[in-house]
Amino acid sequence: MLNIFDNLILGFQVATSWENILFCFIGVLIGTLIGVLPGIGPTTGIAILIPITFGMSATTAIITLAGIYYGAMYGGSTTSILINLPGESASVMTMLDGYQMAKKGRPGPALGMAALASFIAGTVAIVLLTLIAPPLASYAVSFGPPEYFALTFMGLTLVSALGGDKPLKAYISAVVGLMISCVGIDAISGVARFTMGSMSLLDGVGFIGMAIGLFAISEILVNIEEPIKQVFSDAKLGIRSLFPNLQDWKDSFGALWRGSLLGFFIGTLPGSGATLCSFIAYAVEKKLSAHPEKFGTGVIEGVAAPEGANNAAAGGAMVPLLTLGIPSGGATAVMLGALMIHGLRPGPMLFSTNPEFVWGLIASMYIGNVFLVILNMPLVGLWVKLLKVPYKVLMPLILTISATGIFATDNNVFDMWVMFFFGMVGYVMRKLDFPAAPMVLALVIGRLVEMSLRQSLTISHGDISIFFTRPISGVLTVVALLSLFSPLFRILWSRYKAPGKSLA
Amino acid sequence: MKRFGKLSLLFAVAFCIALGAANAIAASKYPEKPITVIIHAGAGGGSDIFARTMAAAIEKERILPQPLVVENKPGGSGGIAFAYVAGKKKDPYFLVTAVTSFLTTPLMGLTPVGLKDFTPVANFAFDEYMLMVNTKSKFKTAKEAIDFARANPKKVTVGGTQLGSSDSICTYLIEKAAGVQLNYVVFNGGGEVNAALLGGHIDMAVANPGEALELYKSGKVRILGVFQEKRLVGAPDIPTLKEQGINAIYVQNRGLCAPAGIPADALKTLEEAFLKYTKTEAFKKYCKDNMLTEAYMDSAAFGKFLEEWNGKYAVILKDMNLIKKK
Repeated sequence: MLNIFDNLILGFQVATSWENILFCFIGVLIGTLIGVLPGIGPTTGIAILIPITFGMSATTAIITLAGIYYGAMYGGSTTSILINLPGESASVMTMLDGYQMAKKGRPGPALGMAALASFIAGTVAIVLLTLIAPPLASYAVSFGPPEYFALTFMGLTLVSALGGDKPLKAYISAVVGLMISCVGIDAISGVARFTMGSMSLLDGVGFIGMAIGLFAISEILVNIEEPIKQVFSDAKLGIRSLFPNLQDWKDSFGALWRGSLLGFFIGTLPGSGATLCSFIAYAVEKKLSAHPEKFGTGVIEGVAAPEGANNAAAGGAMVPLLTLGIPSGGATAVMLGALMIHGLRPGPMLFSTNPEFVWGLIASMYIGNVFLVILNMPLVGLWVKLLKVPYKVLMPLILTISATGIFATDNNVFDMWVMFFFGMVGYVMRKLDFPAAPMVLALVIGRLVEMSLRQSLTISHGDISIFFTRPISGVLTVVALLSLFSPLFRILWSRYKAPGKSLA
Repeated sequence: MKRFGKLSLLFAVAFCIALGAANAIAASKYPEKPITVIIHAGAGGGSDIFARTMAAAIEKERILPQPLVVENKPGGSGGIAFAYVAGKKKDPYFLVTAVTSFLTTPLMGLTPVGLKDFTPVANFAFDEYMLMVNTKSKFKTAKEAIDFARANPKKVTVGGTQLGSSDSICTYLIEKAAGVQLNYVVFNGGGEVNAALLGGHIDMAVANPGEALELYKSGKVRILGVFQEKRLVGAPDIPTLKEQGINAIYVQNRGLCAPAGIPADALKTLEEAFLKYTKTEAFKKYCKDNMLTEAYMDSAAFGKFLEEWNGKYAVILKDMNLIKKK
């Protein structure tokens, strides 16, 4: 314990040098902007900005890049809440209740809660990172293919939680998403599936293009239909209404700590990603809530849980990177590449061979989180004013910025067509009252489920008992099956009880 | 006024012709504008580091009068980048990174372009490959592992990336050389393979030194052998697979190609510049940091190398059932 304290002091000595503070600030500022811009997520943002770190020391470089990473998690929620446009993939879940809150004239508390939840969860994650990173490394690798399958399969059964009062339509939407997730080259057999000869489809349908299309573009299309009216003109924009009130805090308390822990621990698993974390946090919150039917109509827990989770996940993702040199997702993989350009190769010995680097980075994350909350709280007032911009000006702007952001990710025009295509699909879905979130999440989770299922079965030579004989995957698989069949059991039980009653 | 108009038109035409002539003269002074290097993979990966290190060094040491501009075009196992650069016919201002996928993606029919659509420019280095196990594994040597695999067909699991990748080809080479059957498990990336190996979910993994060496130094993994004729200079205590009786040799090249039919003088300029680059400190450090073997080849030698391996891959991939029958 004392040892950790000593290390942390060493870290703060490194992190509080003027250039590290300056670049930590620049990093989180750029991160916030990247999060706000649709299409460009943390992975692309870090990749584009690697060259600016060339002149820096490795420690300053990673402090800047990490700042971009967790800063983007803060910024991503802004456009999700205000204009139903996911700034990056991990903030899709924030949209469901955040945008509804904004529509009901409470954009301020939603934004404020998003920022404060990010701060609280981010800090919880760093504390956990500080205290238990090395022992956590063995937990992170204890998840093999069967455990991933069980976890993602459980996630899939929670998709109905996103459908509001229409579980059947949510399932249909999810199944379509699963079908879309099959498009692309199949890594295991090397066969191109449903690509119709298009090279751009070999890597599958782009998640962020689909999400922006389904949510934001369809929103614009719906708005074109009616005479343009300013939905938010009646929003109260006084300074007091910008912040969550006491009741909001009471409602969000449970969501905050559950979101933080779930986000952190799932975030440490290589390959899972912040999107999965925010989704599971949201779904769990809804399952535990006393009023699950209100989720999706603008409840503040629905903002606090996913925002907390995606920020905690950014902290969790540092665990395998720093302790094993294994990136847990796209953004950390790019950071690993950046470190190698700087001649530093993270691995199990990093904590002992480069303590000033590791602890400097961890200390800078404490500082960066404080910067972010100071930076973002005043911005809330500014962002909310964005809603005063007339729609006829705002919407073409959203369209242009989204298209540019999507293009910039891989320099591929095809991704823009994906966005527009799903804009039209989303429009039809709105008309028929199908929820879009299950489709988007099925696309993400579907790939993970399929990969881990087939890996597990390759290892076990086709024997499905592999999912039940291992403790973690056994428990998760049983929970998933119960969650999937619980409505059926409930119906059977009531049928069984009913005749009994009539007899008595 | 009318006359003046005609005169000015004439002048303009003359000016354009003069400009064109000037252009033609300048063309012999290649390069007169920045050269774009297309990376066939995403940022932060091996090819990205390779190209960015090179671009930075060439600009810093003023090896070429114009900078190299690096651009990522990932997707389709490299196919998108290959098709894009091949489409710039005869234009010497476009280069693309060429590793294993430069040959395997066209062979697997995933992109309409192929070797004939490119001018090989230069090769820089080789990535070595290694076979490794968790330190807790019962296999102490490659021979032990292979003997076990021979007695228990398809029981030994080997982790690697997508079918058709270097990892999968290395696994195939072991199977062929030793006459055994292994159980190849596909993961999304090298990081996930390493995590699965450390967690004991797979028995062995194919990795390149860049991914494996830190885990090796810290005692988390044991390296059973390298896919090479001779032991590596950077790691002389690791045996080759060949000395253990498994004749599996494999390297991945790291080179650059241009579209087919670029002017000969431009090719010569590029070859000279890249040869100069391979003599710089920056290049030596890059190879050392990433555990690569320096292996410069000029256009002709690289072309021959690509032809030779294209033939080998065609046989291997066909045997792995990855080439579509038409």
